[in-house]
Amino acid sequence: MQRVEDPRLLAGRGRFVDDVAFPGMLHAAFVRSPHAHARIVSVDASAALAVDGVLAVYTAKDVDWLAPLVSSGPMRDDVCVQSRTPLAASTARHVGDPVAVVVARSPYLAEDGRDLVDVEWDALPPVVDPLQALEPDSPLVDEELGTNNICHAEQSAGDVDAAFADADYVTSIRFHSGRSTAAPIEGRGVVAEYEDRGGGRYNIYSSTQMPHLLRMFIAPVLGVPAGRVTIKAPDVGGAFGLKCTVFPEDIVIPAVARLSGHPVKWIEDRWENLAAGVHSKDMVCTMEIAAKADGTMTAFRGRFVTDSGAYSSVPFSPLVDSQVAGVYLSSCYDVQNVAYSIDNPLTNKCQIGAVRGVGWVPGQLAREVAIDRLARTMGKDPVELRLQNMIGPEVYTTPFGQTYDGGSYAAALEQARDAVDYAEFRQRQLRAREDGRYLGVGFSPFVEPTGWASASAAAGGMPIPFFDTASVTVETDGSVTVTTGLHSDGQGHETTLAQVTADELGVAMDSVRIVYGDTDSSVFGMGTYASRSAVLGFGSIRESAGQVRDRLTRIAASLLEADPSDIDLVDGVARVKGVPDKSVPLQQIALFGYFGGTARPDDIQRDGLTATAGYDPGETYANGCAAAVVEVDVETGLVTIEQLAAVEDCGVVLNPTIVKGQVAGAIANGIGIALLEELAYEDNGEFISGNLINYLYPSTTEVPSLTLHSIETPSAVSAGGVKGVGEAGTIAAPAAIVNAITDALSPFGITIEKTPVTPEYLRQLLRAADHDRNKLVGA
Amino acid sequence: MKPAKFDYYRPYSVPEAIEVLSSHPDSKVLAGGQSLIPLMNMRLATPAALVDISRIEGLSGIDTNGGLRLGATTRQSDVLGNAVIQQRWPLITSAVVHVGHPATRARGTFGGSIAHADPAAELSAVMLVLDASFGVQGPAGSRSVSAEGFFLGHYTTELAEDELLVEIKIPDISGWYWGFGEIVRRHGDYALAGVAASLRADEAGLVTDARIALFAVAHRPVRSSAAEARLVGTRLGDPAAADEAGRVALDGVEVADDSFVSATYRREAAASVVKRVVREAATNSRSGTDGQ
Amino acid sequence: MDSRLGSVAVEIIVNGEKRAAVAEPRMLLSDFLRHGLGLTGTHVGCEQGVCGACTVLIDGQPARSCLTFAVQVEGAQVETVEGMAKAGELSDIQQAYRSAHGLQCGFCTPGFLASTQALLQENPDPTDEQIREYLSGNVCRCTGYQGIVAAVRSAADARKASSHGS
Repeated sequence: MQRVEDPRLLAGRGRFVDDVAFPGMLHAAFVRSPHAHARIVSVDASAALAVDGVLAVYTAKDVDWLAPLVSSGPMRDDVCVQSRTPLAASTARHVGDPVAVVVARSPYLAEDGRDLVDVEWDALPPVVDPLQALEPDSPLVDEELGTNNICHAEQSAGDVDAAFADADYVTSIRFHSGRSTAAPIEGRGVVAEYEDRGGGRYNIYSSTQMPHLLRMFIAPVLGVPAGRVTIKAPDVGGAFGLKCTVFPEDIVIPAVARLSGHPVKWIEDRWENLAAGVHSKDMVCTMEIAAKADGTMTAFRGRFVTDSGAYSSVPFSPLVDSQVAGVYLSSCYDVQNVAYSIDNPLTNKCQIGAVRGVGWVPGQLAREVAIDRLARTMGKDPVELRLQNMIGPEVYTTPFGQTYDGGSYAAALEQARDAVDYAEFRQRQLRAREDGRYLGVGFSPFVEPTGWASASAAAGGMPIPFFDTASVTVETDGSVTVTTGLHSDGQGHETTLAQVTADELGVAMDSVRIVYGDTDSSVFGMGTYASRSAVLGFGSIRESAGQVRDRLTRIAASLLEADPSDIDLVDGVARVKGVPDKSVPLQQIALFGYFGGTARPDDIQRDGLTATAGYDPGETYANGCAAAVVEVDVETGLVTIEQLAAVEDCGVVLNPTIVKGQVAGAIANGIGIALLEELAYEDNGEFISGNLINYLYPSTTEVPSLTLHSIETPSAVSAGGVKGVGEAGTIAAPAAIVNAITDALSPFGITIEKTPVTPEYLRQLLRAADHDRNKLVGA
Repeated sequence: MKPAKFDYYRPYSVPEAIEVLSSHPDSKVLAGGQSLIPLMNMRLATPAALVDISRIEGLSGIDTNGGLRLGATTRQSDVLGNAVIQQRWPLITSAVVHVGHPATRARGTFGGSIAHADPAAELSAVMLVLDASFGVQGPAGSRSVSAEGFFLGHYTTELAEDELLVEIKIPDISGWYWGFGEIVRRHGDYALAGVAASLRADEAGLVTDARIALFAVAHRPVRSSAAEARLVGTRLGDPAAADEAGRVALDGVEVADDSFVSATYRREAAASVVKRVVREAATNSRSGTDGQ
Repeated sequence: MDSRLGSVAVEIIVNGEKRAAVAEPRMLLSDFLRHGLGLTGTHVGCEQGVCGACTVLIDGQPARSCLTFAVQVEGAQVETVEGMAKAGELSDIQQAYRSAHGLQCGFCTPGFLASTQALLQENPDPTDEQIREYLSGNVCRCTGYQGIVAAVRSAADARKASSHGS
């Protein structure tokens, strides 16, 4: 099926935020901190203001009428509430922290002005190491808070201590999941206009994946009711979670549009995107497994410390990484004794936010790397060990109380194993070693909460009520308009949701239009992230379209003098079952629905052919497995991915092409996380990865042709059995790759303790292994 | 990410270009711009004037009569696509494949890469092993600089501010064997370490001349005299000699260290590439694929 | 010698049509196309010369419009994504991207289309490896490249089939 959105995107007729222009529009550039931690002594804008075309320079003082941006985290009492001013007022807390904004006639002039703003800094000691940040004598990142730790939390189930005491084997690993980010090809951007009428209102174009939530968060900071803020997010050039954060720039740009009396545009540049958006997955993990001699894993214990950066991000906070790494600890394994603790120390780095795969990625890495280690220690096959401990396919409640809606946990691993010809591979691996070539294979089965809604969020320790609504209208001519608060930034909602609507109403897909990305014309919704849109979109549309369908059926029944239960809506007409020539076209039904006077049922006279319904499903969980086959060049440390196979079970698949595309894109991201992507800071907090020369995306030559398989286990709880997809590959692939590298290098006995696994790091490990071996030989 | 202001000059002759370079102290030569413009966008370079030499008549072009003569503004893509170069100087073709991507090679010039003198540039090392010489013009007239004497350090060359690289001359290399290799994390990226080699052997198959150049290793492309010395007199294609060349290749080389790649890694990686490149060279004669 | 010392009118032939706009010498071709001429189909992803989103064809050759000043290409032929579809009909390459799900958000797509056009002109029958190597200077964050490689393959195959047929 061809996507509805493609013709405009292929012809260059999409409308992205930088394509929007208002008459008289000015351009903004931010003055940002070059220091990790510094007091702002003074800001002198006189040289900047002397540039022709630079109209104004604003600092925190000029926008002191704004309320602070408050991060309260996921509605939990144990999470610190942190406030920040949208422009740093007295202290800059990371490289890239915005302290002033220059407004000029062109982006070029705005940057000229930016370079001339003279900020006098008084450098403060930076907090760079997350573990040191937790020490009582550490300097504070935010003195107002009185602590660096945004949240410490612990949870346990069963008797973990007893299980470890009784264990025949205990495996313990430390793993540092590296700092990466979404870096969509389109960065962030805001175009804002202030209209000084009716008490003032803001008209904002934004590259966001959650227009309504963005409005909800920025309106009170701007000091206006939400209804006086319009957020439009037409086409968005990739988001991957980065754009479900509320940023200071989202507030400052509307504010300076008001102050300057002109519409203002800010288009983030790549350095800003990498230095001052959100970062992700930077987590120091320890993972311990207790096992019996027969291979039964009896307990998991994890500690997850998220290097949270300087600010608790809005709305999800750093718990979006640490909490979810902990609470889903048991994953697809039948392990009843589990415990975790989380810490979220602030450091003088960019804030941690929600990015594709969030804390599931480090959690998955820690657990799956540890299981491989356990298998090696016990001399067991890593696939067999996993299968031996895996839960069954039926509905299952974890020790922490998540209720899985059924899945193909073992089957997915078996399929992935077969996809890489596992038995044959082991032979090939041995032969290759004789030639001095090192091949390895790694597996990573996963369970992922999708369809993020109230129940799944609560079960994940992020107890925010999440739901969504859709409004379906059959227009007077029988065409259909759907509005949703979900957003599409590549997922193809205009296609999938139109398809769902068309199926429900028995109309052609091209008669359905999906309206989203505009708070003025769409019903309230929570936006698109956390692999939630298929479940929430399908559920809310099926409910609202179902109500309209019921009305259409009753009208058709009266027009055709038949019983409503005998009416079929198919191909844009209503038919009487078994009487093919008795039919009425939808257009006629619709006209009657609007203009049929008192002949219509009362509810149709009142509501017409519009129905709005919400959906808040029970917990849904996708599952699957990634398997990687790699070759490691031991002299140079380079890793080549020979094969990457993924089995995905996201329940009932609405659109196989789109699901495959999501899985493939997510895997590419996972390859980046495993091998390439790293946002690096020096020991003094200086940021050194602010360009795509140093921050490495996987390109066509690093992502191999993928082997993609799918299993459909319908969800036991959601509408239509749909589970959702989007993050799976990112969650599963890194652990599979790390396990494959470790397997390849098993003759050397190395232990990988961090991502990305760079050539430099592998050589370090191999050097150390050589050294150890030489010592042994010498002794 | 927008460049700062500059004045733009587009001379149509070399003397005009030299004139404007001499009269504008803070000016820079703009050829393809593929190295300079990213630096300007990031405002790491803010020249007051740019002198666009791309439309100077006669400054681009490939002449393969006898030796190879490349005009400085010859596009890298034109070099890559030239069948005679591929046949007679296959080392050049093999190296250009690794310089950026099609879109940067179509704008980027051969001379621009050399004059920019990025220590990670493939072509500079190739120039060293092909014994190239560079034609340079300045207010005082023309001179020729050998590749060996041209690269002084990090982005620093023998070129004076008001001098222009006008041509690259490479001798005929009939009878030479060659090799090229580099370690990159992604295709087209700057190398973590790289090696270009050319070797000549006598009728008995013993190496008589060896030129091994390392790039992305030191602060400028350098010859490895230790590896070269080890190879002379050995049998071409002897794997033990190749290993030995790799082992000593970094002796006496001051290896660069930065936040992303340590000197230790560069040393190991370069040694490994030397070994492989020397082994491979035995199978690469001038005609590239040996008549295949 | 020509000199451009302040804002001047710059004339370029874009998609076969002479177009002019006022530009400073420092104006990047990407900004000139997008904001000077209103051709917003060319996208800007990094301005560091890495992502390839801004790729256009200059005199038939692929080029990064963020690494090119508009003044450098005065008088040259520039082709952008807006010139690919003729009379509202997607070109064969565009259609192949659609059929093979070679795009998701669509932001990097115009650059990929330009590179694909250049590739197939240079090498009408590339192997998958050649496709990957040629396109390695364009990055896509959505697709994992599976649909993109398939799209280029199918566009090449379709051209081959139609030239055999004629």
